Amino acid sequence: MTETALLRWIVLTPLLGAAVNGLLNRRLPRQVAGLLGCATVGVSFLLSVRAVMMLAALPADGRVITDTVGRWLSFGNLHLDIGYMLDPLSAVMILVVSGVGFLIHVYSLGYMAHDEGFQRFFTYLNLFIFAMLTLVLGENLVLLFVGWEGVGLCSYLLIGFWFNEDENADAGRKAFITNRVGDFGALLAMFLVAATLLPHLHGGEGVLSFLTLQHHTHELAGIATLASLLFFLGVTGKSAQIPLYIWLPDAMAGPTPVSALIHAATMVTAGVYLMARMSFLFVLSPAAMSVVAGVGVATALFAATIALTQNDIKKVLAYSTVSQLGYMVTACGVGAFAAGIFHVMTHAFFKALLFMGAGSVIHAMHHEQDMRVMGGLAKKMPITFWTMLLATLAIAGVAPLSGFFSKDEILFEAFNSAHGSFPVVWVIGFLAAGLTAFYMMRLLVLTFFGENRASPEVQSHIHESPLTMTAPLMVLAVLSVVGGIIGIPHAMGGGAWFQEWLAPVFSGGHGAHGGADAAGHGGGHNTTLELGLAGLSFAWALLGLGLGYLVYGRRPQLAEAWRNLAGGGLHRLLLNKWFVDELFGRVIYRPLHRLADVVCFRWIDRGLIDGLLVGGSAVLTLFTGSVLRLTQNGMVRFYAWVFAVGVTVFTVYLTFSG
Amino acid sequence: MESFLFYFCGLLLLGGGILMITSRSAVSAACWLVLAFLGASGLFASLHAPFLAVLQVLVYAGAIMVLFLFVIMMLEGPVMDAEQARPKAPVVVLAAVPVALIFGLAAWKLTGAVATGFAATLPEGFGQPTAVAGKLLGEYLLAFELISVVLLVAIIGALALGKAERSKPWK
Amino acid sequence: MEVGLNHYLILAAAIFLVGLVGFVTRRNTIIMFMCVELMLSATNLVFAAFARDLGNEDGHVFVLMNFAVAAAEVAIGLAILVQIYRLRRTVDADQLTTLME
Repeated sequence: MTETALLRWIVLTPLLGAAVNGLLNRRLPRQVAGLLGCATVGVSFLLSVRAVMMLAALPADGRVITDTVGRWLSFGNLHLDIGYMLDPLSAVMILVVSGVGFLIHVYSLGYMAHDEGFQRFFTYLNLFIFAMLTLVLGENLVLLFVGWEGVGLCSYLLIGFWFNEDENADAGRKAFITNRVGDFGALLAMFLVAATLLPHLHGGEGVLSFLTLQHHTHELAGIATLASLLFFLGVTGKSAQIPLYIWLPDAMAGPTPVSALIHAATMVTAGVYLMARMSFLFVLSPAAMSVVAGVGVATALFAATIALTQNDIKKVLAYSTVSQLGYMVTACGVGAFAAGIFHVMTHAFFKALLFMGAGSVIHAMHHEQDMRVMGGLAKKMPITFWTMLLATLAIAGVAPLSGFFSKDEILFEAFNSAHGSFPVVWVIGFLAAGLTAFYMMRLLVLTFFGENRASPEVQSHIHESPLTMTAPLMVLAVLSVVGGIIGIPHAMGGGAWFQEWLAPVFSGGHGAHGGADAAGHGGGHNTTLELGLAGLSFAWALLGLGLGYLVYGRRPQLAEAWRNLAGGGLHRLLLNKWFVDELFGRVIYRPLHRLADVVCFRWIDRGLIDGLLVGGSAVLTLFTGSVLRLTQNGMVRFYAWVFAVGVTVFTVYLTFSG
Repeated sequence: MESFLFYFCGLLLLGGGILMITSRSAVSAACWLVLAFLGASGLFASLHAPFLAVLQVLVYAGAIMVLFLFVIMMLEGPVMDAEQARPKAPVVVLAAVPVALIFGLAAWKLTGAVATGFAATLPEGFGQPTAVAGKLLGEYLLAFELISVVLLVAIIGALALGKAERSKPWK
Repeated sequence: MEVGLNHYLILAAAIFLVGLVGFVTRRNTIIMFMCVELMLSATNLVFAAFARDLGNEDGHVFVLMNFAVAAAEVAIGLAILVQIYRLRRTVDADQLTTLME
């Protein structure tokens, strides 16, 4: 284990940027603020590269670098440190976070150039990077949770960035509160783990430190199911799974760079990271893993159905994100943690690209987000078009782009993993993949092909975005295309380098998986099966893409027909997101609101506290006062009489106590 | 002799007192109090305290009551008229309760006691002015001097308080 | 029965209580004052009785002090009363209640 002070600077540099921008705000000229904001994240990225190189230099079974800043608290057996830990898993995460984060910061220079809150935006963005890095580099669960809450806070601040509109503020609040429900589960899980572990600790080691936890897995076996499920509750909140995904579509109210960074590439993957980090706990409980896989794949299909009908370009991408997160969660559920992280990485590339491309489109269309008035933008915005096309192919799973390898691996693992075979999961995932290709093509066609349907005034202003916005698009396009190379499985002739890099982290569970690996990590590795399934997925993706192009590009009457299917009822159901928000409103919000209003506010707050306790004590005091006042009547005779009574009492007492 | 004096003067004192507190006009109350004090004087005499007996008449009945009468006469109007109403019955009863209790207690305790009569036999010249003077100017000299200061203060105080702005002459 | 200490004490108690009842019952301030004098007399009686019982003139000295104090008190008290009358035109104790809450 190596110690270095490098790690803390990876985390703290963005914090410095946030502090300077935050304190100086408008006194700092825009160029400086923007430059500072991007530079801090850039520095963080460079430091991350350096750190990962240091890590790679170590032998494969000892790849851990730590940076202990100090002891946070100590009570008896309970110790907590502030420190950072770099291992292959967190290495992947910091590169993705700081790298993609940097690109999005550069993009924001152009996108937010005319916004009044420019400096504030960069403050929040830097603060977010700080929190996210704390989350992935923290050496114990508590520090992870600090980062977890921090990203939640920044998400709230950034979603409601244009807080002058009620809608935006409401969306921010919805995100925060929904996440809070999940956090409750995560906290309970942490307490449970800590309580179970404390009696067994004697050496002054941190109780929730990941290194400690991994050494004591056998003591955690008893509570593994409960703790895993509670952690998973947190994951459903942060990574937008059923039932707590409802905040993510609403979060599109925030500026597009925010959607790209937080709700596509980084924050929402925190849940997947948590599960990967705690993989040793999850694998102890097959029951919990089944739940995770079930929820994940259900979410994937569910969100995909909704994405089919949405008209707002960002909403389509939002539901697409929920769906892809479902894939990542499913991967963890079937024990293919490395595959899940692989998809996290590739998804970061193409989803961030898609969002930023959408931002470019919205920018050009004068803040119009409805695809029904778009069209024909391919000629006017070539860079945006080509990069988004590549991203679409990646997300649909067209070989040899990155998305193909990552998504395909997840599906294969679902079908045939060392933990057992889950064909049902595969079927649902397969269906969702087809839908993904279809709706993404729909988005592409409606936005870029055909004739533009906007007003002539808007049309005249359509132009390609500036370099600060298109450069990141191009970089990410390249990454979306070639990013999968590092993870090509053995079955397809690749080196499976990514999976092997991550193998030591998941050695407790299902680690590096690579086709016909001679060492054989358990389970049957059937090269033929893998290639067959891969080919099937590829063909299915092409079919989806083709159908999308056909229906929306060539034969719009087909689109009309399928919209009117079942008397328009099906379309209405999907367009209204299966009325889930309305259901929650009826079942949860309204009763809670009634409870808060009637019981808490009227009965307890107004009635009991204001009326009885406050008012009552006043009345009591006044009453007592008015009674006692009668003795102060100013009449001397009365005073003398009281005197006499007192003397009498005293005398009687003395007489009879003698 | 002493017994007779006791009972007779005791009756004067008690009767005068009761009559005083129940009389309607202030003047009659004052007169009854004078009578009561005469009785008190007699009681002092029966207690072999001639000096005190005389002084009682001189000071109390002679000076203090005269002062009272002066003031009563000076403040005409409500003072000379009888009090408007009798005290209400409940007031009297309430007032009497502690009184009755104490008296009952005292009586019970004291009559149960064995000895009657006085304990000591009196020395020669007991209660005579000489004897009292001897005590007063001897053992209690300081008290004597202080009491004269008290009287001085009282005189000054009375003069100061009694000053009036005569806006209109006495009627 | 020979008249003894106890008789005098009972008598003094009675006088004192008469004075007390009068004080509490009457509204005329001057008469209330007179009741106070009565109570003082009762205490004088007690001291004289004990002096007789103990064969000691110390009790008499106290009675003398009591006389002087009573006189002083009456002088000042009546002076105040006169002033009150000049201001308020009344000596009714129930109307002199500025000490009231």
